[in-house]
Amino acid sequence: MHLHKYEKIWLIFGMGSLALFLAIIGFAAFWKGIHPQSHIETIDPQNIEAHDAFKPENLGLHEVADGKYIVNIVASAFNYDFGTDENGNAVKTIRVPKGSTVLYQITTKDVVHGFQVAGTNINMMVEPGHISRFETVMKNTGEFTVVCNEYCGIGHHLMFGTVEVYE
Amino acid sequence: MTKGKLDPHQPDQKGASISLKGTFIAVMLLGVFILVSWFALYALFLSR
Repeated sequence: MHLHKYEKIWLIFGMGSLALFLAIIGFAAFWKGIHPQSHIETIDPQNIEAHDAFKPENLGLHEVADGKYIVNIVASAFNYDFGTDENGNAVKTIRVPKGSTVLYQITTKDVVHGFQVAGTNINMMVEPGHISRFETVMKNTGEFTVVCNEYCGIGHHLMFGTVEVYE
Repeated sequence: MTKGKLDPHQPDQKGASISLKGTFIAVMLLGVFILVSWFALYALFLSR
């Protein structure tokens, strides 16, 4: 088969790009462990309190080791439940030091919500019946707004919170 | 009716002399654009 010299070059370039991106997908999935956030782990949306992480007293920020944190959140129309502070007021801001590793665990009691911490890589769908998890290192300081990015109803725009990363 | 010309399995000998320089530049520009934008976004992902 006769191929023009230029045709050979761009075919090799194209196939090389395919091979490169396939290798990157394999590296991300098998080496870095990047998977869909739900991990297909299920929970009864009518009875989320049966799961330890989502008992009312376990919601919010917990330090589990030096520099390691877990944040448990329940999303519902139209609120993120980050637990309550010592005075019984609802927590709206999560504060963690820079460089800490934070595991976000979130589920919903009603409809599909989103959990995006704008300006970071944290961006998950929150589906009823599933637990969404995302672990990340908070590299940059600042105040990041948590927003629901899946339209969940009339009060969708009222669903927000804050993650503050300090020095 | 001569064979050769109408036979689709016979390569067209004239094809070898067509200039593909413009096509080549366009294909490479598009390819480089795709790769550069992909790696720029990947760098953004890593920095956050």
